[in-house]
Amino acid sequence: MFYGLAVAWGILAVYAVLLGLREQDLKKQLETLKKMVEEKK
Amino acid sequence: MRTLRHAAAIAWKDLRSELRTKESLNSSLSFSIVVLLLLAMAFDTGSEIVTDYGGGILWLAFAFSSTLIVNRSFAREMPNDCIDVLVASPASGASLFLGKAVAAFALQSGIQLICLPIFGVFYNVTWWRNPWQLFGVLLLGGWAMACIGTVFSALTVNLRLRELMLPMLMYPMLVPALLASMTLTNYLLMPGAMPPDFAQWLRLLIGFDIIFTTLALALVETILVR
Amino acid sequence: MRSKIVLALGLVGVPLLLRNLYVILFNLPDEMEQGPVYRIFYYHLPAFFAATLCYTTAMVCSILYLVKKSARYDAIAMACTEVGLAFAAVNLITGMFWGRISWGIWWAWDPRLTWALICWLVYFGYLMLRKAIDDPTERAKNAGVLSIFAYVSVAITWKAIEWWRTQHPGPVLSIRTGEQRIDPAMEQMLYVNTLALATLAAIFVITRLRQEEVQREIDALRRYAHAL
Repeated sequence: MFYGLAVAWGILAVYAVLLGLREQDLKKQLETLKKMVEEKK
Repeated sequence: MRTLRHAAAIAWKDLRSELRTKESLNSSLSFSIVVLLLLAMAFDTGSEIVTDYGGGILWLAFAFSSTLIVNRSFAREMPNDCIDVLVASPASGASLFLGKAVAAFALQSGIQLICLPIFGVFYNVTWWRNPWQLFGVLLLGGWAMACIGTVFSALTVNLRLRELMLPMLMYPMLVPALLASMTLTNYLLMPGAMPPDFAQWLRLLIGFDIIFTTLALALVETILVR
Repeated sequence: MRSKIVLALGLVGVPLLLRNLYVILFNLPDEMEQGPVYRIFYYHLPAFFAATLCYTTAMVCSILYLVKKSARYDAIAMACTEVGLAFAAVNLITGMFWGRISWGIWWAWDPRLTWALICWLVYFGYLMLRKAIDDPTERAKNAGVLSIFAYVSVAITWKAIEWWRTQHPGPVLSIRTGEQRIDPAMEQMLYVNTLALATLAAIFVITRLRQEEVQREIDALRRYAHAL
């Protein structure tokens, strides 16, 4: 039973972590692009 | 009436084009025979319980070969922007879908009829026990594959990975129809009276055909117009 | 504004989830026939409800996109589908654990399990289709149509528990069957945990939606940067 409950929480935790990683990746991309635009101007 | 006339014209165009080149017909037929052959090696075809899974094997072969046919359905319109011409024509999206689905259905049915005796030979199955009911199931299941296949062919026609995406999208959606067709075919291959849930599976198959044909007719215009 | 909503939902949802976990593990009694393993059900069913809610929202937003052509609806549909997939995965895998303990097998080709799996595969195909189309308008349009087709499988999964009576347990909730088949305290916990998981789903959807908008901003900025 504990494995079942653990897996339920585990999947949701993994998804939350994936969202967090994507957030960081997007922030990095945005920073890079903003710098690129500033340099080109 | 105009829709049906346009659909008939498009179906006839597709069929004539395919019968002249026979490109997807030949590959589809040989692929379905190869699948039947491979599955005959995987299972013990000499056993008496072959009628328990014979329907499944037959419909697997049909499902794999129908992908090759429906893939060509809209793909053949891509060169020279023929798809744009068709969409701009007075023919509605519904008649375009209907015509192509009927053509795909006709080609598929031809392949099914050729594969049936081959299946009987490879698996030692008496498939002519209930011939008219069996043809009925082939028609209903075949229409489900043609209908879903044509819609998803339209959906994936512009993609780079069309040959990969079409089966990936088509098969999960087709599972209820395939399941019903497989079960009904198994029942029709077995000797003796029909099991009590025969009618339930038939209802599922007919319901699937009606629901998805309606959805397809309603939504195909949205898919095609850019 | 949106971060305030997320914060509010978080302040409601997270304590509720933790409180529910405590009650599920320690306060509620064992089920008569199954023993303690039935407690998986308190996540199995609410996860299915949360996933269905997400899929329904996705379908409605897809229809709204096709009618109104506003990219916002497409973004909501995508976010809801992704979160729905996560909760549907919770439903499937907790069900597998329950099945392993109760039936001795990880999986059965029971209609309900089969339909739940088909549903998951169909929506996974939706995400794959989105990845394969580059043009945003084309992507939104085609994904919207697929979402409408895919919803048929959700509707059948929902009804499968009534239409087919096989290995999977039958309906037990009083709102569905009209009678009290399980203890009221257990039924209430199911609803409360559904609320908690739905709140969590809403947080995920809003976060994903914001990320999608940032992605669009990045795409626009990239086009601008290359044009300079």
